[in-house]
Amino acid sequence: MSRTVLKVAGESGMGLLSVGHIVAKMLRGMGFYVHSDREYPSLIKGGSSNMQIDFGPSPIRCLSKETDLVIALDREGLVEYLDTIKEGGVLVHGFERHHLIKDLQEKAAKRHIHLLYLPAHSIAHELGGGELMVNMVLLGLMWRVLGFQLKPLEEAITEQFAKKPKLLEIDLKCVRAGYEAKGVEIPAYKIPVPKSKPDQILIDGNMGVALGAIKAGVRAYYAYPMSPSSSILTYLANFSHETGMVVKQAEDEITAAQMAVGSMHMGTRALVATSGGGYDLMTETVSMAGMIECPLVVVLCQRPGPATGLPTWTSQGDLQMAIHSAHGEFAKIVLAASDPKSCYELTQQALNLAERFQAPVVPLSEKQVCESQVMVNLEEGEAIAIERGLVTAPKELAALKSADRFRHTENGVSKRWIPGSAPAGYYANSDEHREDGVLTEAADEAKAMMEKRMRKVEAIREALPDSVVFGPKKADISFVGWGSSKGVALDAIEACAEKGIKVNYLHFDYLWPLRDEAFRKFHKANPNIHMLENNFQGQLAELLEGKTGLKFKGRFLKYDGRPFYLEEVVEYAEKNK
Amino acid sequence: MSYQNPIPDYQLLADRKQEYMKYESSQKLTWCEGCGNFGIQKALERALVLEGITTNNVLMCFDIGCHGNGSDKIAGIGGYTLHGLHGRIISAAAGAALANPRIKVVAEAGDGGTFSEGPGHLIHAVRSNYPMLFILHNNENYGLTTGQASAMTRKGYPMNGSPDGVGAEPINACDFVLGLKPSFVARAFSNDVSHMTDVLRAGLRHNGFAFVEVLQTCPTYNKATPEPWYWDKLRPVDQIKGYDASNLKMAREAAQDMDKEIKVGVLYQDKNSVNFLERLPGRKGIKTALVDEVKAFDIAKLIGPYR
Repeated sequence: MSRTVLKVAGESGMGLLSVGHIVAKMLRGMGFYVHSDREYPSLIKGGSSNMQIDFGPSPIRCLSKETDLVIALDREGLVEYLDTIKEGGVLVHGFERHHLIKDLQEKAAKRHIHLLYLPAHSIAHELGGGELMVNMVLLGLMWRVLGFQLKPLEEAITEQFAKKPKLLEIDLKCVRAGYEAKGVEIPAYKIPVPKSKPDQILIDGNMGVALGAIKAGVRAYYAYPMSPSSSILTYLANFSHETGMVVKQAEDEITAAQMAVGSMHMGTRALVATSGGGYDLMTETVSMAGMIECPLVVVLCQRPGPATGLPTWTSQGDLQMAIHSAHGEFAKIVLAASDPKSCYELTQQALNLAERFQAPVVPLSEKQVCESQVMVNLEEGEAIAIERGLVTAPKELAALKSADRFRHTENGVSKRWIPGSAPAGYYANSDEHREDGVLTEAADEAKAMMEKRMRKVEAIREALPDSVVFGPKKADISFVGWGSSKGVALDAIEACAEKGIKVNYLHFDYLWPLRDEAFRKFHKANPNIHMLENNFQGQLAELLEGKTGLKFKGRFLKYDGRPFYLEEVVEYAEKNK
Repeated sequence: MSYQNPIPDYQLLADRKQEYMKYESSQKLTWCEGCGNFGIQKALERALVLEGITTNNVLMCFDIGCHGNGSDKIAGIGGYTLHGLHGRIISAAAGAALANPRIKVVAEAGDGGTFSEGPGHLIHAVRSNYPMLFILHNNENYGLTTGQASAMTRKGYPMNGSPDGVGAEPINACDFVLGLKPSFVARAFSNDVSHMTDVLRAGLRHNGFAFVEVLQTCPTYNKATPEPWYWDKLRPVDQIKGYDASNLKMAREAAQDMDKEIKVGVLYQDKNSVNFLERLPGRKGIKTALVDEVKAFDIAKLIGPYR
């Protein structure tokens, strides 16, 4: 398993994203597996940002901590990222005179890092591109270092900037100048190009959610912009001419959730996505959906809190919040996506579960999942059929009575039909109610209705798939996790195997109502068991320990806004095996 | 009394007695004696029947408040109602209206929910022009929580929780909405069922967000403007010579007076109103409703560029 890690560093607005996207696309086109993500502050211009691309000949499911190659577009990129480069790595930059350049050169020499300088700024200016095209010059240089052909890169740039022909010409000149690398000694850096190309697309998790929603027949999307959920709105809005979906940017999160309940109540499929703060605002509506037994799906894209927290960084800090959100007691379902493919699938599952059990469903995502670009094949595996749990047969509709709507059934799920589709109407009442929805404050009726609704919890638990083991059945060290922990755990299993350490991993896609049978078995077979969670408390660990009485040997927790990097998990495994 | 009841459509109502009876309910109404809600419920039932809307073809959405306590006491046969959260019903109703325009959506809320808890929903529903009728029950106080001041309570009147009266000026609901370039604004009085019926009928026919303020008596808590206070102050705009309901400026002027001569009727209507769904370029030429369209969509074309 060999991967190469490339980082483009610069200020937001310097064109590092366009460089990053071109490179990622090219690498994918050459047959590499690619996994990329960007780190950026909550600013539009200025502030240090970077885009990292891990690529290699086999699947890559997480990011690395250390880099092989850095393109430094700004001074901070030059100074800050040198230490992250592995021995023998390369940094390309365009700063001839920097007050620290001597120190940096010495530092680089000590660790055999090639510090490659090209007067990218004067080249870009001379060619008429100005500061904005420094990125193209340095990209050209990096491409040369990688030992790849210039022509495909020129084609990719032509495609990217086809709509700006005047700039394109200068872009191409700048890239060529960088590739020529006049006066630069190019280190021997050989990356074998894969012989075949995987049949996969490169998308991020939010695109997975958007496509999952489209596939699941969602016809209305309501949202208020909030990082890291915002691009779901962008994607669905941009697709709306093809899909005919109603995509509405609401005035706030309460509205978004309420409109979704209204649309779902009326019988179509709607979706909402937000982040923690927005979800807080939606919780009264989640409670209402629980009471009127209306399907509702709110994708919760986590970022570190509390409050505004770290708006553009990652976290798994809202699991217990999601589980315990909203007042009163009612059945609620919490899932967690781990990559774009699971975003795609779990969005569809969430809509099915919401309709089948007439309950709110919260699929969790996290910045690392929302925005990391990962290679996936969405069509692989069994297609997920739409399950609505609605009464639609004319004969059955004709026979319905109002009291069927909230009828006390064995599993707590009553019949649901689209308003207007049956002669029998019903009241969807946020007050406690009888079987036909009519308000009641009678003790026995209130008790019976609460018990009916709560019977759904067990019905759901039985219907949800249990957690799944990856890697060998027995291992030297075992991890348990959810969300983005999966990617890094799977890559760590492979990386540790190369070092002779057996690692396995138990993954939860479905978190609430919690199933613990697989966990109990896993725990029994693997006493050296550790939790891998991107939060302070070890929220799933707390739930599992509380429910089963079984203890974790250790908890590897991270709560600095960064995801788990491969090296960290491997190192933890080495230490604790 | 300068105000005369318009003649209602008695014969049509009599012809549709069967449909009308379906709007009745066997549930006991729990409003106070003399409450304006009785009149509003009656007028709404009549308006729906006269517009040919059966209980099976309307979704009635209620906020929390005294009016909402009638949510399960209407349309007892074949009716669908949604009783939501305080201040939020406009948005839930809007979501329902977008999902299935074949079902008429009517939302009702009080002055507390609409102008304290949830004005944002109102503002953007007006701007968005969702296809629905919204009835503001303006009894100038919080009745269900026993008489606290609302944003419509008149200045200086002692209320529960505000024994010295409220120092702030009340909001004029119609003026507020008219400031948002709406497509339909009307005002009616809860105790004039016939006139209110006509106003609600116009609202039901409107293509877009129809805002109807009903000045509602509250004999229990609103001592400032009891029923008799209203009668000789009401002035239907259709009885004003030269009144032009398509003139927004004229409507704003008419809406101002809430003390001496209170204008009622359809204050403003844009007859060329284009509703939210019709404005969406992505829905051009689509004849079905969102409720008809829930099926697996082929994403192959969409992911093409990502290959």
